[in-house]
Amino acid sequence: MAEIELASPTPKAERIKPAELVQLIVFRLGDEDYGIRIEQVKEVTVTPEVARMPKTPPFIKGIANLRGDIIAIIDLEERFRLRPAGRPLPERSYTVAVEAADYTLGLMVRDVPRPFTLPLSQIEPAPEFVQDSSTRDKYLEGIAKLPEGGIIIVLDMRKVLTPSEVMRLPGKGASS
Amino acid sequence: MKTRDQEYRELFMAEALEYYDSMSRHLSELENNPNAGPALNELFRLMHNLKANARAMGFTDLGEVAHHLETLFGLIRDKERTFSGVLIRVVFAGVDALGNMIRAVGANQPMPEVSGLLDNLDRLVRGEAPLLEEIEAPETEEESNRKMELSDLVYIQVKKLDNLLNLVGELVIDRDRIMTLAQEIDNPALLATAQHLFRISDDLQYSVMDARLVGVGVLLNKFPRVVRDVASAEDKQVELTMSGQDVQIDRNILQIITDALLHLVRNAVSHGLETTEQRLQAGKPAVGQLTLSALTERDDVLIQVRDDGRGINTEAVRRKAIERGLTTAKAAAALPEQAIWSFLFEPGFSMADKVTDISGRGVGLDVVKLALDSLGGQLRVESQLGKGTTFTLVLPTSIAVKGALLVEVDERPYAVPLLHTDTVLALHPGQISVVGGVLVTHFHEEAVPLVPLRQLLYEEGDEPLPFATKTDMNGPQHVLVVNYNNRRLGLLVDRFMRQQNIVIKPLSKPLDTIDLFGGVTLLGSGQVCLVLDVPALTRLFLNKRP
Repeated sequence: MAEIELASPTPKAERIKPAELVQLIVFRLGDEDYGIRIEQVKEVTVTPEVARMPKTPPFIKGIANLRGDIIAIIDLEERFRLRPAGRPLPERSYTVAVEAADYTLGLMVRDVPRPFTLPLSQIEPAPEFVQDSSTRDKYLEGIAKLPEGGIIIVLDMRKVLTPSEVMRLPGKGASS
Repeated sequence: MKTRDQEYRELFMAEALEYYDSMSRHLSELENNPNAGPALNELFRLMHNLKANARAMGFTDLGEVAHHLETLFGLIRDKERTFSGVLIRVVFAGVDALGNMIRAVGANQPMPEVSGLLDNLDRLVRGEAPLLEEIEAPETEEESNRKMELSDLVYIQVKKLDNLLNLVGELVIDRDRIMTLAQEIDNPALLATAQHLFRISDDLQYSVMDARLVGVGVLLNKFPRVVRDVASAEDKQVELTMSGQDVQIDRNILQIITDALLHLVRNAVSHGLETTEQRLQAGKPAVGQLTLSALTERDDVLIQVRDDGRGINTEAVRRKAIERGLTTAKAAAALPEQAIWSFLFEPGFSMADKVTDISGRGVGLDVVKLALDSLGGQLRVESQLGKGTTFTLVLPTSIAVKGALLVEVDERPYAVPLLHTDTVLALHPGQISVVGGVLVTHFHEEAVPLVPLRQLLYEEGDEPLPFATKTDMNGPQHVLVVNYNNRRLGLLVDRFMRQQNIVIKPLSKPLDTIDLFGGVTLLGSGQVCLVLDVPALTRLFLNKRP
């Protein structure tokens, strides 16, 4: 029946464009999954020894030595007030080193972060009201709905971590 | 060994060749699109820089051609000429000539003749037609033996060098750890290898530090213009003499002291030197002398700003310090000259009677002091009333190893640079008294305030510290006496650990706004240790004392 095919060349089904994929590093904060685009992640490691840093807000756990770079370690659960009562950070936690605008910062998480790939189209912009009303910066890039149910909240690190955002602290007041 | 002159020539060449390449690129762009503003601006800038560099190196002809082209591009930019017709040919010929001249410098050959070209450029600037035959002949000849060359020098971002230094710092710490281990294990083969590693990493550290050195001249050479501008604004006659431009120093140190030096120089012209009239009345030559010099003294680099002006009026500073409540009249009377002068470096301390455009805006010499503190440097002042003042910046050659005392508070180590430590004391509670809510002890006939380091570091908020009591003091108290700007402060710590050489790493963003810490260092164990900034601690204590 080749003739028929030749005679009536049906327009081919529109070629499916390879969907643009996004790779996330996913970790748990409180009771939800959060993700960061892999381009913004420098490395994932077992949290090194953290030295407490005076004159910083409580969610800054301190500083740590990551391959010779001294970076600030932040507890996002505390920052976003997501820590369920009576669930302290475990002895052994993990640190996701992320590239903020022009410096590196460590995010402390309780479980091993895992990579996750999904089509960009699955990430929906976050509704306005979810945004932290006290900050102008929209650090939620969006919310990814997973086919098997559940969601991943995608953070835009470059916005979570502007220095003023991170610090929100007495800062210079220490000595001026 | 290369002479300085050769080194400068190479630097000039590398920069000039780069300019030349950019010029050729922008010219082609301009030819395709005569209205390309950015290309035009860039060409103007390149010509300007080349002119400045060439003149500084004494290549007058090269400077002249660049100057003429700069003028012409200025006209094109201002839309007084268009980039079209014969102008294009003359400009290309001009840039080619620049290329030939730069190559001639590199090969140490005489400069090609450019009077015809200069004449044509002049004509274009005046709006006349150029004489074209003259430029055509050499140009075609050039075409065949035009060469391409790559520079012998590599430009490198300071950031990359910083990273290298960082890594070397790591390496040195690990090396020391391996040395210790090797000695403990006491295996001859391991020891030999460790010693070899020691030597190699030493050489590596030295090489990396060496690669970061630049001549002090790169900063000093910016000053003739500054001095000229300030002098003319103040209507003073100043002769600037400079020396020691060859003295080598770490590029970042130079960067950090730029503002400080600018301040000192402006200050010297604006406040130090007198007006012509005053000088003549005082029987001095009409022209004020300002000297900027750099020299090496053991491991340090000294940069001096010397003027032969009126000198520091110690009595006026003494009065002002009392007026500002920095000291009491009684205490001030007993202070020696040097101690009085150190008030000049207090924030906001200005001796200016009138506020001028250049200085005396309340931005005082404290800027200078702060810059030096951040480097672990020193500031020396010498002055003689009516004869002049000399400020000497004592700088480390490179940002490298510093001696520090390690102390422990709440089981965390903190490092205090030895530069600011005076002494350590073990005091019985009986040797400590409470005066006005502050703990005080007497040391060398001087009352030294004491404060628990824990309180300074961890007490939140801006409110004053609580009134001190001695009730919870048991047994001997460990006190580290630090000294900043002739002010002593005793820090109560849990324990003294040891003295050690440390490599200080700056705190990275976002924590770099906390000025209580000069940085961090890694201890042999890999442990992170905060380095305390004594000037900031002292200021914090003064602000928060009850």
